[in-house]
Amino acid sequence: MIIAFATYSPVLRAAEIIVNQTVPTERYSLMDARAVFTMRQRFWPNGEQIKVFCLSDTNPLHKDFVKNNLNMFPHQLRRAWDRMTYSGTGAVPVQLDSEQEMINEIANTPNSIGYLNSRPDNEKIRLFKYQ
Amino acid sequence: MKKYAYLNINNRIVFFVLFSLSNAGKADLLPEEIQFHGFLSQGFFHSSDNNVFGQSDDGISPGLTEIGLNAAYQPFDRLRFAAQGLYRRAGDIDPGSVRLDFGLADLTLFNYKSGRIGIRGGRIKIPFGLYNETRDVSFTHPTILLPQGIYFDRSRSLLLSADGGSFYAEQDTRYGDFSFKFNVGMPLKDHREIQSIILGRGDAKGELEGEPAIATQLMYEINGGEYIFAVSYMDLELDYRPAAGEAILPSTTRIQPLLFSAQYNGEKFTLTGEYNYRWNTFGAFAPGGKFITESWYVQGSYQFLPQFQATVRYDVIYVDKSDKRGDGAAALGYQRHSSFANDWVFGVRWDISPSWMVRADYHRVHGTAWLSQADNNPDTRPTTQDWDLYGLQLSFKF
Repeated sequence: MIIAFATYSPVLRAAEIIVNQTVPTERYSLMDARAVFTMRQRFWPNGEQIKVFCLSDTNPLHKDFVKNNLNMFPHQLRRAWDRMTYSGTGAVPVQLDSEQEMINEIANTPNSIGYLNSRPDNEKIRLFKYQ
Repeated sequence: MKKYAYLNINNRIVFFVLFSLSNAGKADLLPEEIQFHGFLSQGFFHSSDNNVFGQSDDGISPGLTEIGLNAAYQPFDRLRFAAQGLYRRAGDIDPGSVRLDFGLADLTLFNYKSGRIGIRGGRIKIPFGLYNETRDVSFTHPTILLPQGIYFDRSRSLLLSADGGSFYAEQDTRYGDFSFKFNVGMPLKDHREIQSIILGRGDAKGELEGEPAIATQLMYEINGGEYIFAVSYMDLELDYRPAAGEAILPSTTRIQPLLFSAQYNGEKFTLTGEYNYRWNTFGAFAPGGKFITESWYVQGSYQFLPQFQATVRYDVIYVDKSDKRGDGAAALGYQRHSSFANDWVFGVRWDISPSWMVRADYHRVHGTAWLSQADNNPDTRPTTQDWDLYGLQLSFKF
C-alpha cells in the first residue's frame, strides 16, 4: 500500500469515476454525480441500490476527485456524511485503503461506483460518463 | 478523587470497545448491511470567574466527556434502522449517564430521480439550525462550545431528541438542493436545569412535564453545500405541576424559537451566521408573562495550514430583547448581567488525522445569561459579569 502511494504523484487532472458493469448506461449529469457521492441519490434508474466506495479524506486522489470531478471541497462531503452518520438519517460510503482495493471492490460489487487515477484494464469496470 | 478514577476505568473500557469495533468494521467481520460508527471527546475548562462544566473557576475542570456509539442496519432497500448510545458527563448538570441518543426506523416512501420522501419513527434528533442534530459530535463544529446564545448547553434536554415521528422530503433541482423535515415528539424527560431557569428558583418540589413538541426545518444548499440557508422553528410546551401544599402556582410555559441560518463554505474560508428570535410565554413565572429572547452570532473560520483552522466568533444573547440592561432582573433581585451575554471566541483546531482532532478555545464573555445554574448557584455565590474561559479538547471518531 505504501508503494502505491509513493508512486502516485498528484497532478492537476481529474480522476476517473468508475462503475461496475451492471450500472445502467444513461445520460447522467454533474448533479447526479454529486447526489450519488453526497448520498442523496440512493438508487440507480433501474431501481437497484447504489453502493458507493471512497478513499480516505486525506488521500490525494480523493481530494483531486472531489475538487475536479464533483467541483466541491472534501470538507463539504465530510460535513454531509457526518451529519447523516451521527444523526442516524443516512448511510455513508464504504471507505477503502488503496486504489487496488477500489479496483477489486468495483469489479466484484454489482451497482457500485467509485473513482480511480486512471481507467483500469478490467472488463467488469466501466467509466461513468456525465455532463 | 475516587469518582475520577472510576471514570477513567470506564473511559478505558469504552476506548477499547470503540477501537475493537472500528477494526471489526475494516476487517470485514460484519455484514455490509451493518455500519458502526462512534466518537469520543474529552474537554478541559479553566475560567477566571464563574463555573463551566464543573469547578473551572481558579482550577481546571475535566468537565465534559462525551462518548457515542452508533449502528445502522438496512435489511431492505427502503427500510433502515439506526441507533446511537451516548455517555455524557458534564459539570454538575449531568454527573455521568448513558442514554439512547437516537433509535429510529426510516422508511423511504417515494424515491425518484431527483428526490425522495419518507418517514421516521422512534427517538429522532431535533433539526434546529446548522449544528443541533450533531451537537455532541465535536468534529462537526469548529469550536468546543457551540454558540451558547442559540445552542444552550444548560437547557439541552429540550433540544436533543424527541420520541415520536418525522416526515421528510428532499428535492434536488438545478438551482440547488432542498431538504424539509417536520418532527412531532415528546422531548426527553430531564428538566431539572430548565425548571430552575423557568421558575427562577432551584428548590421547587413539583414537576415540569413536557407536552408533544413540533420541530421543523427547511434547508437549501447551493453547489453541494457551498452556500447553505436554513429556517428552523420549534414549538415547545412545558406544564408545571406543583407538589402538594407547594406555594408555586401551576402554569404552562411555551417556548417558540424561529432560527435563520446562513453559511458560506469556501475552500479555506467558512463564514457562518445564525439569528434566533424566540417567543417565551412563561405564564405565572415572569412579570407580564411574555417576552422575546434575541440571540445571534457571526463566525468566520480560516484554514491557514492544511490541518489547522482558526475561528473567530461574536455571539450575543439578550434574554428579554426589550430589556437589554437587565432592569427586570434587577427588580426581581437578580444580578443584571444574568439577562445578557456577549461572547468573543477565538479558537484553533488541529485535525491530526481524519480520526483524531485537538482544539483550544478562548472566550471573553460579558454577561452570564447562558451559565448553568447547577454549576453556579446564584443564591450562595454571585456570578461575575466580565470573565474569561479557556477550553482544551481531544477527540476521536471512526
